[in-house]
Amino acid sequence: MSQPFRLNKEGLINRNKKISFTFNGKKLFGYEGDTIASALIANGIHLVGRSFKYHRPRGFFGAGVEEPNAKLQVEFNGHSEPNVNATEMELIEGLSATSQNCWPSVNFDVGAINNFLKMFFPAGFYYKTFMWPKSFWYKIYEPFIRKAAGLGVASIEKDKERYEHKFEYCDLLVTGSGPSGLASAYAAAKNGAKVILAEDKPRFGGTLLTDDVSIDNLSGKDWAEKIITELKSMPNVTVKNRSQVFGYYDHNMLVMFERVSDHLEKKSKFTPRQRLWYIRAKETILSTGSIERPIVFGNNDTPGIFLSAAAKEYMKVYGVLVGKKPLIFTNNDSAYETALEFKKNNVEPIILDTREEHSSELIDEAKSKGIDIRFSHGVIVANGYKKVKSAKIGKLNKDKNSFEKIETVDCDCICVSGFWTPSVHLASQSGNKLKYEEKIDAFIPDKKKQHETSVGSANGSFTLEESLKNGFENGSNLSAKITDTKTEIAIPNVNEKKYGAHDKFWCMPLPKNENPKRFVDFQNDVSVSDIEIALREGYRSIEHVKRYTTLGMATDQGRTSNLNGLQLVSNIENKIVPEVGHTTFRPPFTPITIGTIVGREVGMEYMPTRKTPMHEWHEKNNAVFVDAGAWKRPRYYKQGNETLFEASKREAKNVRENVGICDVTTLGKIDIKGPDAAEFLNRVYTNAWMKLPVGKARYGLMLREDGIVMDDGTTTRISENHYHMTTTTAQAANVLSHLEYYLQIVWPELNVNAVSTTEQWAGAAIAGPKSRDMLSKLYPDLDVSNDALPFMGYKEAEFFGVPSRIFRISFSGELAYEINVKSDHGMFMWEKMMEVGKEFGNQPYGTEALSTLRIEMGHVAGPELDGRTIPSDVSLNGLVSKKKDFIGKNSLGREAFNVESRQKIVGLIPIDRKSSIPEGSHIVQDQNAKLPNPKLGHVSSSCWSVENNNPFSLAIMKDGKNMIGKKFFAVSPLKNKSIEVEVISSHYVDPEGKRVRS
Amino acid sequence: MLYIKCPYCGLRAQKEFSYGGDATVKRPNINEEVSSEDWDNFVYMRKSPRGKHIELWQHIAGCRQWIKVQRDTATHEIFQTAKVTEEIR
Amino acid sequence: MQKYSVFSLIKNAFSNHQNWEVAWKDPTPKSEYDVVIIGGGGHGLATAYYLAKEHNIRNVAIIEKGWIGGGNVGRNTTIIRSNFMYDANARFNEFGMDLWRNLSQELNFNVMFSPRGIINLAHSDAQMNAYARRGNSMRLNGIDAKLLDRDEVKKLIPMADFSDEVRFPIFGGLMQPSAGTARHDAVAWGYARQADDMGVDIIQHCEVTGFDVVNGKIKGIRTSRGDIKAKKVGLCVAGSTNILAEKLNMTLPIETHVLQACVSEPVKPLLDGVVTFGAGHFYISQSDKGEMVMGGDLDGYNSYAQRGNLPTIQHVLTGGLALFPFLSRLKMLRTWGGIMDMSMDGSPIIDKTHIEGLYLNCGWCYGGFKSTPVSGWTFAHTIAQDQVHELNSELRLNRFSTGHLLDEKGLGTKTWIG
Repeated sequence: MSQPFRLNKEGLINRNKKISFTFNGKKLFGYEGDTIASALIANGIHLVGRSFKYHRPRGFFGAGVEEPNAKLQVEFNGHSEPNVNATEMELIEGLSATSQNCWPSVNFDVGAINNFLKMFFPAGFYYKTFMWPKSFWYKIYEPFIRKAAGLGVASIEKDKERYEHKFEYCDLLVTGSGPSGLASAYAAAKNGAKVILAEDKPRFGGTLLTDDVSIDNLSGKDWAEKIITELKSMPNVTVKNRSQVFGYYDHNMLVMFERVSDHLEKKSKFTPRQRLWYIRAKETILSTGSIERPIVFGNNDTPGIFLSAAAKEYMKVYGVLVGKKPLIFTNNDSAYETALEFKKNNVEPIILDTREEHSSELIDEAKSKGIDIRFSHGVIVANGYKKVKSAKIGKLNKDKNSFEKIETVDCDCICVSGFWTPSVHLASQSGNKLKYEEKIDAFIPDKKKQHETSVGSANGSFTLEESLKNGFENGSNLSAKITDTKTEIAIPNVNEKKYGAHDKFWCMPLPKNENPKRFVDFQNDVSVSDIEIALREGYRSIEHVKRYTTLGMATDQGRTSNLNGLQLVSNIENKIVPEVGHTTFRPPFTPITIGTIVGREVGMEYMPTRKTPMHEWHEKNNAVFVDAGAWKRPRYYKQGNETLFEASKREAKNVRENVGICDVTTLGKIDIKGPDAAEFLNRVYTNAWMKLPVGKARYGLMLREDGIVMDDGTTTRISENHYHMTTTTAQAANVLSHLEYYLQIVWPELNVNAVSTTEQWAGAAIAGPKSRDMLSKLYPDLDVSNDALPFMGYKEAEFFGVPSRIFRISFSGELAYEINVKSDHGMFMWEKMMEVGKEFGNQPYGTEALSTLRIEMGHVAGPELDGRTIPSDVSLNGLVSKKKDFIGKNSLGREAFNVESRQKIVGLIPIDRKSSIPEGSHIVQDQNAKLPNPKLGHVSSSCWSVENNNPFSLAIMKDGKNMIGKKFFAVSPLKNKSIEVEVISSHYVDPEGKRVRS
Repeated sequence: MLYIKCPYCGLRAQKEFSYGGDATVKRPNINEEVSSEDWDNFVYMRKSPRGKHIELWQHIAGCRQWIKVQRDTATHEIFQTAKVTEEIR
Repeated sequence: MQKYSVFSLIKNAFSNHQNWEVAWKDPTPKSEYDVVIIGGGGHGLATAYYLAKEHNIRNVAIIEKGWIGGGNVGRNTTIIRSNFMYDANARFNEFGMDLWRNLSQELNFNVMFSPRGIINLAHSDAQMNAYARRGNSMRLNGIDAKLLDRDEVKKLIPMADFSDEVRFPIFGGLMQPSAGTARHDAVAWGYARQADDMGVDIIQHCEVTGFDVVNGKIKGIRTSRGDIKAKKVGLCVAGSTNILAEKLNMTLPIETHVLQACVSEPVKPLLDGVVTFGAGHFYISQSDKGEMVMGGDLDGYNSYAQRGNLPTIQHVLTGGLALFPFLSRLKMLRTWGGIMDMSMDGSPIIDKTHIEGLYLNCGWCYGGFKSTPVSGWTFAHTIAQDQVHELNSELRLNRFSTGHLLDEKGLGTKTWIG
């Protein structure tokens, strides 16, 4: 149970709380405050995974988001998650981690054969082979490649966790709580600004937690704690850890991802797992820090090789040694701090510095502590397969392209530092063009694009003094502009070590006849030679290099590889880095769970469910519902073991013979008011509206400006300047916007208002020969005779004490009425109708029966008005006025709309009077013709005609008007059906329309 | 998410609006003769410039007013918003 | 030209891969060409290739503002299909499917065309009927299509939500088994390499600044690298069409919009083909690398920014979770955007123009990748013969005045609705 690499006292972990977990089945423990990575390293475990392409052994490289290798399959809280970053995931009790992309085990991985054949798998090899013989690609090569795809395994279980969204507004958003971020947030908070400070890690303070500095005589860590404590106490400040701002979008909208509860052992039922914050900030401080970049050398991917700052972080934050015989390989002073930290913990490091012998504060200190420093030296190649055992090191010549001396030294880890790369992702996402800063060999933000201000090392300032000054000044100035308050803050005294200049050196040369892989991008196995091949083959644009080699395209998005890749390309191409340019930084900064992005709109909450006021009644009476947009509508009311077909036939038949009622609440309803309402309707509809009397309804047809039918419905003149328009359920919202468009923009001179009243009215249709009898019982005091309330008539009357509207309109083709009452009375109306209707044989009918009724009457609906038909196609040209102008009229003159053989709606019946014609069938002359078989039209709607007791369909057919009486085949190859049909009129029942007027 | 200043309601999030396309397209007058070329231009032809674009948005989850927005189609910067009865220059 | 094969790979391995030739050269523009193709995307490169191969016109230049393959051919979700309702679109793209099936061999470049099928899911009977209409039309055109019921869908994608806790249950779907995906970059590079070999000049980092039109006839173009004379000029610039049209004083039935896509982290294969959700804007496939490739909807306002906003991604992924709840735990790795030349009826335009010698290829909406080979093939024919081929005889500009529209979705001119 001992942890061989755990220091006795260093670190910020809670040594009082042990946490047990397993790795590849082995039981281990760590402490509260560990990451999976720090706990494994404490236990002396470095080999955790295999690389994507060559299956090379891989360990840890970093200590946070920059980690390219250590991605594990982790099971916790009853769920298994792939590709979890071991350097970020906090240890919780019972967690179980396993290695990915290896078989049978990470120690012995069959896939590693690829590593021995790697000379045959250079960049882009798959573009050049697997082409012969052709059929092998489909049957052998690709299935084999696909098998090798992916890292971890996605669980297909439903996610039981909860994810939330939050919207926030603030004056200043500070992204990162390192020294510059803390200073900015503090200064702005003191000015009274509303501040949000976001820190990705569990602990605030950034580099203050690991650097040997003091501020106002406090250690960096203590100063950070002091500031955070004060910020937390201020009402105008929100401080968030485990929260990463991952995207900078338009109009200064930033998006933050908060890991709320994965680190908790217990949480309440409604605690979300993760939370997405949409933050609209007036100003943004980008204090995202910088990421150390590696120096490229041979076998630099071997487990045991770390970024030097990561090694320091493991000691300082987690009390863990990454090794006991470290080699420090650096081109700059910052790695000396790591060496000194080792020394402090009684570990003897050797420093290999690519620079020639010189002096600086840190070098002098290291020397004085007796640390072995070898200038002009570097690691040529790491030895050891599953863990570093030794390193071949070399003394570089003056030009640093060959070696004066080569030797091998033993080591158990190599800590590498190739200087620092500012994290400019958010600035770049904001639209900032970035500029190349020669002094630090990296890109930094250029002129502001939105309201982003980069400070500290994210802006290329690498001293604490500068970072703090930067932070205080920008935090104060930016917030003062917003709050009009400026509180003077003394910039604290800083004690830090002065760094000397770094060496512009980033890739070790190779001695003659040695050819180990030198990796630039670890996760995707992209080496120096891959980049050389890409350039050799003419893939010279940096984007071509990236795509051809897959450099920077892995899950770490090239955080440690992009700049080295760029340097390599610019060297080979003899260009300077800014000429080569950088690839685009795209959100998210680190991978974000899809659950968080989606939030609460999952499962039944995917879309709102709209229910009519009578919904409960339908439910109680065995309605089977159908989705109509967001609405639920009864499709049929099931009795006993009835099928859909049987039930709808029964319901439809009952309407034809007796009377039925149908919930029509979902139809769109629009109130149109104003002195110019008639003129407006006259322009909106194709038919004439100027002479519609009060108390009368009219069927209307609406076109889009391109001449295509948009919607149909009835509109009733309620009073002189008041009309009630109905739309189809599907088009309700579109029609209202359409009307508003014309009223507000095109014809503002018309004095008309349109407002949706869909939700205010509950509607029920009463249809069937006995509907008048039923109506007279519903309205005992009202004259409902054909003379008093004729077809297309309208009346207002009390319905058992509640106000109601009665429209004599019909979709079913029967004598029919539609009653509207205020929504609150909908259920009352419906139940009353059911009660009163009993003696007339009333039954409720659903949308399926409604379809049957309208189809056999030849009334068109959605399947005919499919956004491609003009009025004449659906035999509604009678409604198209020749006398007046209206929306879309000018388009009706087009050549294609007026050809002799233009399509038209027809009816179809099967010759055998038995075979139902599947919807979506096409009409052909010859069912056996060779393909392509010319299509004469398609079947839009089908039903079983209850009137004639045989199948009937509507079809839209080329030259339809001249096809009546002819015979064709309706074919559905998908259903393997071919039915001989006769073309008849689309009005199969009551073509003269006598019933509606009866 | 864009941040659009509705001339009636003030700065509101884009999700409250729906887009309505090029605001400079003028519908030929009703009841007036129009050549088929002019009509087709109105129905189908769009400049769709890169850069400043005057466009329509409707504040559907707010005042339901159609408004004019002058926006850069490359950067999404919004220069000006106005009521549809007002001119944007 | 070096032939790519497993043998050349082995041979080169033993010389440390030092002897690979460039895939395409980097020439300086000549002062005059027979044909100049503007736009070094998939369609432009394919056009140049077929001009050289099918019509023996080799004095051709491709003028590219950035780097070849940097537009939509390098930023799409790689879906290849011919499941169209209208004959004109179906036959055009089915001809393209035949080109796809032989493309790796023809180009000697493995474009990894992988026909694992596409399923359009339906969530109502009405939708099933609409799909049946399209599927039957495909079958009558000789294109493979299958109507799947709920159980058949479940067999193919058992990880979709078949529980009761689902807002829009799956009713079934329409499948085109021969549809699939390909490696998008490889398509651009493969065409470039062969075109270059046949003498086509691929000129990158060269921006077109103007056109030389005399008496209604094209004479050449002006570029950031000097004037270039040309007998014929083909415009093949997708989302930038309107920018060049403006320089020609042309207005087109095209608007430019941004379409985003995203990928998850790579996971072991579990989704074979392409699946589209029928109750929201979402489609998905899994790449040969293991990433879930997802997309769905336009940002909804004219845009030339090759980047989009999060609400659209959120909207699309919300549809994704409604269909595949397991996606919740996967992490989204990267989002990006491409700019689309949205035509007013959703179908493309490959045609001559009123300017003699100027040819137009645009209006691909968000479906240009699948048509890359057939677009190049027919556009090359149109340029070489100065007349449209039967395959693109309905994809003409004048259909917007004649009314012979090809509106597959029936949405009309509101291009931003998608």
